[in-house]
Amino acid sequence: MAEELYTHLQDKTRELEKQGLSKEEAARIAIQSLGSPELIAQEIYETHAQGSWREAFFSALPHFLVALLFASYYWQNVVFLSIILTLTVSIAIYGWHKGKPIWLFPWLGYYLMPVVVTGILLLNLPQGWGWMAALIYIPLALFAFIYIVRQTARRDWLYASLMLAPMPVILAWFLTLGTGNELLVSDIWIARLQTKAPWIVISFIALAAATIGFIRLKPRRYKIISLSIPPLVILLLVTLASRVSIDFWGCLILLFSLFAFATPVWMEARAQS
Amino acid sequence: MNYGRELLKGNTDSLLLCLISREPTYGYQIVKELEKRSNGYFQFKEGTLYPALHRLERDKLIEGKWQTLSNGQQRRYYYITAKGQHVLATRLATWQDFSTAVSAVIKPETI
Repeated sequence: MAEELYTHLQDKTRELEKQGLSKEEAARIAIQSLGSPELIAQEIYETHAQGSWREAFFSALPHFLVALLFASYYWQNVVFLSIILTLTVSIAIYGWHKGKPIWLFPWLGYYLMPVVVTGILLLNLPQGWGWMAALIYIPLALFAFIYIVRQTARRDWLYASLMLAPMPVILAWFLTLGTGNELLVSDIWIARLQTKAPWIVISFIALAAATIGFIRLKPRRYKIISLSIPPLVILLLVTLASRVSIDFWGCLILLFSLFAFATPVWMEARAQS
Repeated sequence: MNYGRELLKGNTDSLLLCLISREPTYGYQIVKELEKRSNGYFQFKEGTLYPALHRLERDKLIEGKWQTLSNGQQRRYYYITAKGQHVLATRLATWQDFSTAVSAVIKPETI
């Protein structure tokens, strides 16, 4: 569209010059006749901001898949888990190389999750191994994480939040399963996960609904509301309802995920006001 | 709120479809044509035309194609699609009925 506006300006300037105006005066009037840049930018955004129902469904699909995983109690099935993981990675890589369409970002969020979860598990290694892992793994993981977030935010700040929306929710659930050595004893966290499964399903259906709302709504302020409220409410409820105390690393990771998710939305809201 | 501006806003899509249905055309020509045919009545901020054109294209009512002119300049010409023609015909019929009804209501009563 920028090229069309530029051609329009050239046509208009040329015509005004023919009417006897100086080049500078003609260019000034031509620019004025286009109208307010903010209004044009807003209309351009709203024209392209609303995704189709198909895009909305495909964007919400990873959340639905996670909900299905827990609703069907298949999260313990290695084959099923591997299929979903392979599907997520393949779709994320495909979308990244196909011009980053809007439906890509929630998939990309799940693509990043194993990177973060591996970091948490490494930190829970016994006898100082956690610190060793932190020194080697975390800088690399952070580099990959920041690179993907930056690339996404370049397209649109809000897409970075759309991508990171599942992160605080998943981490909150993950941290309620146990801390330290408890995470290395599968019986404890599997039993806890089993009892929490219905609530996990509800959380991910709420995330899917938030994603559909984000894709289908046109005005940016509604997108912000749709995207920010459900994950924050889920996070708050999970943290309050959790009977397991979260340790220092847990708090740090949770705060980091919340910060990463909320910063783009907050910056956008500030720009709007 | 300006009533005339609201009316124009509500009917911009139909006006654009109507002009594009006559011949393939481009943004600047559309602005000039609208102004000329309405004797200067329709004057809107020219920059807002392009989001409207892209909206019509997104809804598959028109199709834009870049063309290179003999002087090397590139222009995006818009063509009406079959779906666009169908929508335009429906809108024109609705507008005709509406206009006739409004005229019948607001015309002065004869004693």
